Amino acid sequence: MPDSSFPILSEALPVRRRLVILPMALLGLGGHFGVRAAPDAQALLSASDAIRNPTQPFRVTVTLTEFAKGVQVDATTLVSYARTLESGGQFATITRFVRPPRDAGKVMLKNGSDLWFYDPGTKAAVRISPQQRLLGQASNGDVMTVNFARDYRAAIAAEETIQDGERRKRQAVKLQLAASSDDATYAAIELWLDAASHAPIKARFFADSGRLLKTAYYRRYRMELGVERPTETVIIDGIEPQSVTLVGFGEYAARNIPVSWFQRDYLPRFDAE
Amino acid sequence: MPNDCNHMNRPQRRRAGLVAVLVLAAAFAASAQDDLDALQLQAAPAAAAAAAESNLHAYVELAAGRVERRGGLSSQDGRRASLDLRYAAPLGAGWRFGLSDRLDDVHPVATGMRATTNSLREAWLGWRDAAGTWSADLGRINWRRGPAYGYNPTDYFRSGGLRAVTTLDPVTLRETRMGTGMLRVANLWAGGGATLALAPKLADGPSQGASAVDLGATNMNDRALIGVNQRLSPSVSAEGSLLLQRGTSATFGASLTALLTDSIVAYGEWSSGKSRRIDDIVLATGAPARRVQQAAVGLTWTLPTALALTLEAEYNGAGVDRAGWNAVLAGGPAAYQAYQAQIQPGQDIGSRRAWLLYATQKGLGLKQLDLTAFVRVNAVDHSRLAWAELRYHWPRFDAALQWNLASGGGSTEFGVMPYRQIVQLVGVAYF
Repeated sequence: MPDSSFPILSEALPVRRRLVILPMALLGLGGHFGVRAAPDAQALLSASDAIRNPTQPFRVTVTLTEFAKGVQVDATTLVSYARTLESGGQFATITRFVRPPRDAGKVMLKNGSDLWFYDPGTKAAVRISPQQRLLGQASNGDVMTVNFARDYRAAIAAEETIQDGERRKRQAVKLQLAASSDDATYAAIELWLDAASHAPIKARFFADSGRLLKTAYYRRYRMELGVERPTETVIIDGIEPQSVTLVGFGEYAARNIPVSWFQRDYLPRFDAE
Repeated sequence: MPNDCNHMNRPQRRRAGLVAVLVLAAAFAASAQDDLDALQLQAAPAAAAAAAESNLHAYVELAAGRVERRGGLSSQDGRRASLDLRYAAPLGAGWRFGLSDRLDDVHPVATGMRATTNSLREAWLGWRDAAGTWSADLGRINWRRGPAYGYNPTDYFRSGGLRAVTTLDPVTLRETRMGTGMLRVANLWAGGGATLALAPKLADGPSQGASAVDLGATNMNDRALIGVNQRLSPSVSAEGSLLLQRGTSATFGASLTALLTDSIVAYGEWSSGKSRRIDDIVLATGAPARRVQQAAVGLTWTLPTALALTLEAEYNGAGVDRAGWNAVLAGGPAAYQAYQAQIQPGQDIGSRRAWLLYATQKGLGLKQLDLTAFVRVNAVDHSRLAWAELRYHWPRFDAALQWNLASGGGSTEFGVMPYRQIVQLVGVAYF
């Protein structure tokens, strides 16, 4: 799936080779509640993953609408195909850009650490790093599907009432996530889940310096592929809160594309359905 | 460092604590207000992706600028218009058709050059099986190979591909090159693939016609290329190549890309094959071909500011050394033109050794403003070619300011280029 959490900043990097277990106090997280490891925290995280991302291979249309100081400044439409390549593994994703016209036909692939970008104009498939940004403000992680439970260790930090993306009060369980794999994009995440359904409500993403990278609200829940899923994520930049991206998800469909497509050599052939 | 709090008395500490609480409360309130503001934003209704996707991608590019010439010549105005079309569509049952064409009209032009040039870049019919494991393509196909930015020794079908040079940016220049007439068959497996291309000789040499299909530019010899690509680890991929050409011995090639850290990608490519040195070709010395090595290695490092820097070292065993370059210069303008004709159509480097520093910055202060720049250094004579572009994006239109400077001593590769500096404005409309 497109990671409904949608990292927007260039610092939204995998913590490969620099895994750090951040002291919770450093982040000021959970200090009031005292983080307590709970045997079911990881299960809650998995349940919320299954709400954000279909468990079967799928396609989805992703629309990124960028705002600066309340004014729309950019819009990008992509079609994303995701599946796990091994049982219990992380998603691999191929994404094709549909709009704007200058980017139409470009393709991005993520398969573990492998990140490739293909431009039909230059015919070049280029390996890129997770930090490398090729398409304006959207970071590479913006278009990739991620299951948090595979890359983060969860602990229950609190139970509290928060405001959700529709500006309603919700009873929530707050999870504290710490990166536990090389492929994790963030050092730490605070994730609020609905206390009853375990649907994600809100998340805050942190760099390994402890800096807030972004805040995300998951909203506009709708039945997609048999599950009530968030169809819009509101991303608020941690440094410039006036920089906001709305990430819409639509046109979900089950689509089992072959494993052999998730490689560089297939990208030139990856065209419209 | 002393802790100032220790020097406060109790009322001072209380006031400081109160201020801290108020600051935190204000920050929290501001943050909550930012969130509320963000949650009120609404995206405009988006068209269905399927409806928005088009098989045809086209743009029109207009450029106008000023050329500062060497040799005591006055500066000159220049202009260019380009129409770029790409079309690819499924035909059903695994069949696809692709067409790609570009028309360039450039003024002024050097003596003997064309003002208007059409480049039929691609025209092919393709098939693939339902699983996408096997595929076959027939026609003119632009098969680009090699991970390097500025010089690709393993990009074996690059020769003769450029009919019109409309930019100095080596990355953008690849958009304008023509493909090669070939039959290409590929098989993919999880993590790798193998491709065989058969490219026959179709003509004896390039055509000068403005609208010529110009198969002679890209298919002057019978060639067969086998490439095998394999993902060696989650962060390392490698490719091996074997090129067979009629009348010469085999050429071997290899390339590798690796993700070293979250922000650094390394790459390299190498080729070993028989070739005549460029100065021998230009000066018609009659010296035979010999086995030469060609290579490019580089690193791309992305800074936290999203500035991506690529440093590339390039080596062309067939390129000219100092003595070879002096011999080309001694041959006069005709030899210099022949030298350019040798290296430009295939995006080769003419010198034995070169460096490339390439930089891109997306969102330079403004979300829609991008900077791209490079410096190419001839490592033999230390002359330099610099190019920079500021580009602002609207949804269907780009405006760019480009600057180019060729500098070096009076007997160096870039120091003898006909122009010293070019500044131009470019507008691009996308359809």
